[in-house]
Amino acid sequence: MAAVATIRRRPQLSRAQRREFFFGVLFASPWLIGFFLWTVFPILSSLYFSFTRYDLLQPPVFIGLTNYTNLATDNDFFLVVWNTLWWVVLSSPLGVGSAFLMAVLLNTRIFARSAFRAIFFFPSIVPIIVVSSVWAFVLNIQFGAINATLRAFELPTIPFLSSPDVVKPTLLMIHMWMQGGAMVIFLATLQDVPRELYEAATIDGGGSWARFWNITLPMCSPVILFNMVMAFIGGFQNFALPWLLTQGGPNRATEFFALFLYRNAFQYLRMGKASALAWVLFIVIVIFTVTLFRSSARWVYYRSE
Amino acid sequence: MGEKRFNRRDFLRLSMVAAGSAALAACTTAPAPSGQSPQASDDTGAAPVTSAPPQAEGGVISYWLFWNQYADAVKVFQPILQARVAPHTIDIKTGVNAEEVFLTAVAAGTPPDIGTGHHYIDYMSKGQAIEVGDFVATSSTLKPENFTPAAWNGQFYQGKQYGVSGIEAFVRRGLNYNTKLVEEAGLDPDNPPVTWPEMLEWHRKLTKFDGAGNLQQIGYDPTDAEGGLFATSDGSFLPDSWGFEWFDNGSRTFNIDNPMMAEGLETLAEFVKIIGPDNLTGLRSVEGQGTWGGSYNSGVQAMIVEGYWHPGETFHEKPEIAPLNRATWIPVPEGRRGRKVQFGGGHMVFLYKGAKNPAEWAWPVAEFLNTKEHCDAVYNSVGWLPDFKPYVEAVDASPYPGLDFYIKSVREADEWHHPLWCEIETFVSRKYNEYFEKVYRGEMTGADAAAALQQDAEKEWREAGYA
Repeated sequence: MAAVATIRRRPQLSRAQRREFFFGVLFASPWLIGFFLWTVFPILSSLYFSFTRYDLLQPPVFIGLTNYTNLATDNDFFLVVWNTLWWVVLSSPLGVGSAFLMAVLLNTRIFARSAFRAIFFFPSIVPIIVVSSVWAFVLNIQFGAINATLRAFELPTIPFLSSPDVVKPTLLMIHMWMQGGAMVIFLATLQDVPRELYEAATIDGGGSWARFWNITLPMCSPVILFNMVMAFIGGFQNFALPWLLTQGGPNRATEFFALFLYRNAFQYLRMGKASALAWVLFIVIVIFTVTLFRSSARWVYYRSE
Repeated sequence: MGEKRFNRRDFLRLSMVAAGSAALAACTTAPAPSGQSPQASDDTGAAPVTSAPPQAEGGVISYWLFWNQYADAVKVFQPILQARVAPHTIDIKTGVNAEEVFLTAVAAGTPPDIGTGHHYIDYMSKGQAIEVGDFVATSSTLKPENFTPAAWNGQFYQGKQYGVSGIEAFVRRGLNYNTKLVEEAGLDPDNPPVTWPEMLEWHRKLTKFDGAGNLQQIGYDPTDAEGGLFATSDGSFLPDSWGFEWFDNGSRTFNIDNPMMAEGLETLAEFVKIIGPDNLTGLRSVEGQGTWGGSYNSGVQAMIVEGYWHPGETFHEKPEIAPLNRATWIPVPEGRRGRKVQFGGGHMVFLYKGAKNPAEWAWPVAEFLNTKEHCDAVYNSVGWLPDFKPYVEAVDASPYPGLDFYIKSVREADEWHHPLWCEIETFVSRKYNEYFEKVYRGEMTGADAAAALQQDAEKEWREAGYA
């Protein structure tokens, strides 16, 4: 088949096709310009700044890998890494798990199902600042609704947000309460699971647990993977809730990676160090995401395969 | 099909026309700044031929401040200032966020001409503030003898003057207490505590719990307001009280790991231990939402270390608490009994790098800040004072109970402190709070915390490139 080995030439575009291409690029150019200006350029800039000493107000000074190597002797860095890993490892599966559980329950024929779906979804559309303010007042040790009730019965109060031992589980609880977005995605997936699979399993004598384990879970596994990836990324970037509710306290128990990065960038004006932290975070997120994708071959089922 | 359709070609033509029109529109004259009227065109539609009004010769002087409270005063003095700076237009912005807006504008090279936006040390040390020594030399009012030496010295960084004292710049150390709560606790408001052991005794009697052990009232909160400050433009309370400087500006070295610092941390931690660390965090996050002095003004905190502004602000924000307020000297260790400690300096205005014609535009604004018109507007609406002696010595302090102490303190103080201007003060300030929390939670001793803070400060100093 020697004829096949002839040199392939790029097909010549006709005049009309060239015009079409030109206008295609022209019309996409607002987005393209924005993408290069506001995404690609900052990413590359932050990479450069991570090798510099840069305080925003003076030109950056190149210092090589110093910002990275200094992290190895930075006790604060290890503290925030520990806090962040604690958060990611627990919040991701618990968040996704609670969303999936809510979706499964709300996919059954229960009384006022639509109303419950709206109620469970509602927290995810409330602005985080409102969520934080409401929970601050609900959980406050002095005047929060829960502790006020305990006080009324002369019971000891619970330091939800003011004890280093309790604050992380408290944030975890709020995080799980805010899983309406993931729940809706699961709900849509559950409604897409073919009924005949359940009917066949029932005919074969499969009980409700067997149907859940052998049908519901595998059929939803691609969406579980998606939500897990998003949860991991969101977990590593956790900022708004701890910043608004605890400012990293008490006793630095909620000082997560993103808070540490923010402090270095905008409070200490250590933009070079903050850029290095951002790149470390990026690499860690990539490693976690790739690992998760690699593991998905064992537990994610795609109908098309 | 004879029907006229709007095809792609038509759409492109229309887009070109629209884009061309937009480009032409963008090239037309910008609208006049506020305070100027646009020039009228004649009936023929030709370009106006009338001579420009005087305002057109001037520009816009931008003056930014981070305070929100200042807005009421602006309404009063802006017309007077406007008349002074004519033919220019004064554009005042209050409540400008010191980080997201002010710092960003300075970093981007688009700062205001003049303003107050925190980050004093950053702007001075990183070349963003204009040196004003030459302007001051020609001024008839901004002279050292018209200001307290501590406040005047606080406007200098490495021998050069960058700041101008003007707004909210009076003295910043005083123990304020609520006489009603003090009397209810069986204490004598005419004999306030002068040492830390006495202060602790008052604190014990003024801190109250309910039957279930839940906190109801705080005596003194050592994390609140100026009492909680360390390494800021408003100074460091613990070193002021214990009588040392944590940073030596001459040798550029830290002096944190010392017995006084250790003792101070241990002493202040005792106050929190009585309250309960978790209780303190909880109370402060609701009573005033963690704001500066919020618990005192809510009537659930009996004592607070604050600057001279406290009587005035309390009067305007909580008129029912203000008459109960009284002020005295800050407590000192037993070994320093009788020392009368005061702090001068704090806020000042800068002329920012890139200010348009600073000598003729922004500098007159800086001078205006110490005039009676401006000071009256600010004092009457917020209760703030400048450090300008001719004004302060003549002011009527009677509307604001407690303010009289601060005014007298300028003559009576025998120990003065002023800002130390350490380039990494924000970092040190943050670490101080972290280590203090470890001490009052019993995780560290005062000595260990002082040593760790010194170590962290030196490491940051090196890494930030100042070593």
